[in-house]
Amino acid sequence: MDTTAKLALLADAAKYDVACTSSGIDRDASRGSLGNTASAGICHSFSADGRCISLLKVLFTNACVFDCAYCASRCSNDTPRAAFRPRELADLTIEFYRRNYIEGLFLSSGVLKSPDYTTERIVECLRILREEYGFRGYIHAKAVPGTSPELIAQLGALADRISVNMELPSSESLGLLCPDKTKESIVAPMRQIRQSIAEDRDTRALMRKSSCYMAKRTVPRKTRAFAPAGQSTQMIIGATPETDFQILRLSSSLYKQMNMKRVFFSAYLSVNDDVRLPSNNIVQLDREHRLYQADWLMRFYKFDASELIDESNPFLATDIDPKANWALNHLDRFPVEVNTATYDELLRVPGIGVRGAKAIVGARRATSLGEPELRKLGVAYKRARYFITCRGRYQGRGARFDKESLHAQLAAPIHGGSHGRRAGHVLSGQMSLFESAS
Amino acid sequence: MEDLGLAYVYDGSFEGFLSAVFLAYERRECPADVVGAEQYAPRLGQACVSVATDMGHAMRVRAGIERTCGPETFRQVAEAYLSDEPDKGAAALRFVRYAMRRGPRARFDKAAPEVARFAEIVRGVYNEQHLWVQFLRFSKTEGGVYVAACNPKANVVPLLMGWFSRRFNVQPFVVYDEVHHVAGVSRDGRWNLVQTCDFTPPPAAAGDEMYERAWKAFYDAISIDARYNSELRMRSMPKRLWKNVVELKDISQGEFGEKEERRPLPKQNSDALECGQSESIRVRAE
Repeated sequence: MDTTAKLALLADAAKYDVACTSSGIDRDASRGSLGNTASAGICHSFSADGRCISLLKVLFTNACVFDCAYCASRCSNDTPRAAFRPRELADLTIEFYRRNYIEGLFLSSGVLKSPDYTTERIVECLRILREEYGFRGYIHAKAVPGTSPELIAQLGALADRISVNMELPSSESLGLLCPDKTKESIVAPMRQIRQSIAEDRDTRALMRKSSCYMAKRTVPRKTRAFAPAGQSTQMIIGATPETDFQILRLSSSLYKQMNMKRVFFSAYLSVNDDVRLPSNNIVQLDREHRLYQADWLMRFYKFDASELIDESNPFLATDIDPKANWALNHLDRFPVEVNTATYDELLRVPGIGVRGAKAIVGARRATSLGEPELRKLGVAYKRARYFITCRGRYQGRGARFDKESLHAQLAAPIHGGSHGRRAGHVLSGQMSLFESAS
Repeated sequence: MEDLGLAYVYDGSFEGFLSAVFLAYERRECPADVVGAEQYAPRLGQACVSVATDMGHAMRVRAGIERTCGPETFRQVAEAYLSDEPDKGAAALRFVRYAMRRGPRARFDKAAPEVARFAEIVRGVYNEQHLWVQFLRFSKTEGGVYVAACNPKANVVPLLMGWFSRRFNVQPFVVYDEVHHVAGVSRDGRWNLVQTCDFTPPPAAAGDEMYERAWKAFYDAISIDARYNSELRMRSMPKRLWKNVVELKDISQGEFGEKEERRPLPKQNSDALECGQSESIRVRAE
């Protein structure tokens, strides 16, 4: 099989991996070696489904000894199998990188023989890239559950970001759908990665510190930082009956306890026929969209999971986004005066995002803000106006300031494109998938 | 306020633009239009003052802006100059007047009418630059020089070269702007700009086509059919770029038929525009 055919096969097998981000680390270029990274990440293309392509996302091999119910590469499936040679993949990465197709490599893999054997092959490929080719671009590596700690340590020393897939939001579901993986085999490497990142950071901080008055001796930094862009994880939603409440609580605890940079969600897509999986063909894209909105609120808007969702109402509303929903439930905090409100208060106004709130804080030093000024600042004024006053005047004229009428103003369906699956309204009953009736 | 009956016409260079700013201060005038000679279309009854480019004046304007408003503000003025918007000169002049009164924080007063339009123009240039950082596609030519073509809405090649020549300091490359006829040439991490109208890349290196095919195969394989959403793709990756993006070239030429091309700017003299390094080099494959 030639490289192109192999690439198509192994990219096809990797496409269900969600993360394709190149963010989290700024590494400047160095004379004589190829590549650099930018901490905001750079997308280099967008596929026909609108998802960003930042990294060369491939499986090292799609041969796998595990038999996870939802996976296209499970061992009981009869699909063509292929594997890269480490050098072949390293060469391909370099050639693509030189043409500005990609930011780097995202290497995941099926389990070939054993987790350790697989990880050794991955480490070999990354070693060629980093040490032989002096590649300074981005590398994201997946740690296969069950890999020994020594190999994870090697992986972390070569990659920028490591991720271990959470796979499913609860250990019961994991036991049902992934007979070869256990909660412990997933959490143990996560814990090790968190620990190693923290230790590495402390060591480096100590080395930088000049604690005595004697002439400064700079310690050469021989080793690479351990996974400097942190770790991330992903889970499938909709294959098992967990609620949004459980999912968000889990992701918030992952952010807090595992210091995750990102938790990714992927709407379950039916690729196998299996009695353990939902038999309908629904893809919960709208649910995934709302979960990501909630995720963003937790990461950038200083929301806590408990503010967004509670046990008595365990699914996020489909017709209204979580931030607007929160605002409607806390109308006593609104309206806020844009000319005096603090940054944190502005951040909670539907229609004002991080950029808008910063622009408001910057602009109001010089100018008193009214409607035309806010429109110039890039605020979604038609949403924000129900929750703000400008120079003391309430801006939401024409709507009553109560929950029902504001809900009617803010409710909007998610725009999912006019040609794909979400073009029609096949998903109207989506949230009731695991409830009796709604 | 602005005097609608007055236009400043400069020679199209950045120094010429700064000289126009100098002249506006010197003559205590507020021209409604500050435009390059190529784009100038007089308004009815408008008097036209042609600005003589004076290097000394330009340097004084630069020093003044940097002293009063900081180097970052001057950098934004320079970026605004790279825009293709016809009112960039007038907007930048208004902003400079405002910023010279308000100091380094003026650029954050985006709600002020003097700043709003200027900030929008700078943002537009920045966005265009970022699009090409994302979607510029190099191909390897005979002799090992990597060549990329782009069709940006602003003259962003000068802004791209720093980024790419650091990243690709191990490979010689050329970035050619088909709209503004500017080529950026980089070797060993150093770069120059060349204004040239006739640029024909050397033939592709052997094996280059194989990587293009491999990339196309990857691109097609990575998309999930059940999530197809072409609007989302087009929002992040505008269609006007597709003709220079290797994985979408076929689609932009085949499926959607006609190609819309931006009208290229008139030809300019082929002197070196501005140099990252002093020597000017020719575009050729070595």
